[in-house]
Amino acid sequence: MARRNPMRDEIAIVGVGSTKFGRDAGGVSPASLACEAAINAIRDAGVEKSDIDGVVGVLEPGAPRANQMAAALNLPNVTHHSGPMPVAVFGLVDAMTAIFSGQCDTVLLYYAFTRLPWNSRSAANDPFRRYMMMGGGTAKPPVPEAIDPAAAYTAWASRYIHEYGATREDFGRVALNMRANAARNPKAVMQFPLTMEDYLSARMIRDPLCMLDMDIPVDGADAFILTTTEKAKALTPNPVVIHTATAGIVGKNDEDQLPNLSRHGQHVVIEALKERSDIWIDDVDVFFPYDGFTIITLSWIENMGYCPPGGAGRFMQEHWDDASGSVLINGRVPMNPHGGSLSEGASRGTGHLREAVTQLRGDAGERQVADAKTALIGCGGFFFNSQGAILKRL
Amino acid sequence: MSEPVDDEALVKRFPWVQITHDSKHLFRGWLDERLLINRCDNCSLFHHPPKPICPECWSSNLTPTEVSGRGVIHLAMFLRQGAPAPDVDYLKGPHPVVTVDLEEQEGLRFSSTVVGCPVEDVKIGLEVELTWIERYGSPFPVFRPRTEGAS
Ligand SMILES: [Zn+2]
Repeated sequence: MARRNPMRDEIAIVGVGSTKFGRDAGGVSPASLACEAAINAIRDAGVEKSDIDGVVGVLEPGAPRANQMAAALNLPNVTHHSGPMPVAVFGLVDAMTAIFSGQCDTVLLYYAFTRLPWNSRSAANDPFRRYMMMGGGTAKPPVPEAIDPAAAYTAWASRYIHEYGATREDFGRVALNMRANAARNPKAVMQFPLTMEDYLSARMIRDPLCMLDMDIPVDGADAFILTTTEKAKALTPNPVVIHTATAGIVGKNDEDQLPNLSRHGQHVVIEALKERSDIWIDDVDVFFPYDGFTIITLSWIENMGYCPPGGAGRFMQEHWDDASGSVLINGRVPMNPHGGSLSEGASRGTGHLREAVTQLRGDAGERQVADAKTALIGCGGFFFNSQGAILKRL
Repeated sequence: MSEPVDDEALVKRFPWVQITHDSKHLFRGWLDERLLINRCDNCSLFHHPPKPICPECWSSNLTPTEVSGRGVIHLAMFLRQGAPAPDVDYLKGPHPVVTVDLEEQEGLRFSSTVVGCPVEDVKIGLEVELTWIERYGSPFPVFRPRTEGAS
């Protein structure tokens, strides 16, 4: 530990709320999903409208802004409202820093994600979705050669294979792990089993990655209530505290200019987490590596230090639990027990965060990790959205 | 070299690109089939994509400088589907998209497609050089396997 961490264990998550995840929510707006998740989280926390003085609404395409959410819920006294970018930990960091600094005491943090016209045929047929774009949006059509974030993960997967001789099976094990875990999560959209044969014969989208290397777009929402740990103790017998959370980027973060696979956002995140905490992988009970693309998961496993660079495929094989059809590190620690973005649905990390809280509360039902006390989240990818968090049961 | 076109005309020549004051020199270069990469007058380092200042020394004295376009493929992927372009037919086979380490400076990369060879020959490590195709009526920089001076 070499860095200040005054927020350590000072902010707690006291409420979680969610909606059904669907391949087609059908006729509902992202605002409607956001409200449903928010109300569930508020009721779960047992707080009143007037207690919520912070609203953090993540800028997902089509999602309501924080002020629109405050209006929908008629929150009377809001002193902090903001709109961080996806993925999940940006919002978490914004909420916790706002509470810690005294800008507000209790935050509603929400994320509503929507299948966009370009990633779903039925979404393209919904006239109310046509205006929705990821990011700032542009009227210019993309070109095949654009190294946009999605394509860039495939490009760097080619480099990973080149440098380490990784096989398709190494990537496939990530997909199989998530699918097997999804079977124990009623919320997950991908409920049918997946074999390595299925993976190897799946449609290629951009070689070297196939359809099953990419997360599955869904309509849905997740919401969280955060407050001070002191207040949390009065609200719930089992508050989950944020030990530390961080983002991380390197200077050369344009997708095709990244220095190399040994130096990108994930490395900055991991250094920051380790320097602010004494907790590391030997203390972790549940591990949440992001899986927007399988290459990202392989990289998190290696960069967190579970195995050397290039070794994630072999690591998963060595820690494979045949009974559950999934990874159990040292026979104990699962990887994304909810099924991850690949099989629960592409929540851009909010599912990972929700499941971490659920596990640490002991509410995960048949997929509960025995006596889970500590969760490690590696969220986002390589370029501009690498993030991490360590959550603890108090 | 052709007459330099004004900003209005430049935008019309590349209706599929969002050109900014920082990237306009790059696209003006394309019209002359020259790949102009920002180079710092102060520390002489190149950078790409174009930025308003040199990321290394923060000098704003930048000169878009023609590079050879020779280099080695660093990343390679093959699109079975993707954004449309008049010269790309995904039904005929995967469309290669590569990121090339340019010989001018370590880690200076430019991404495009590869023409002039079977798609199976496009691999990380292949030595390539620049050539130009036409896309939407304007020149578009692409790579082909090195023909001259390949080591
Ligand atoms: Zn300079």
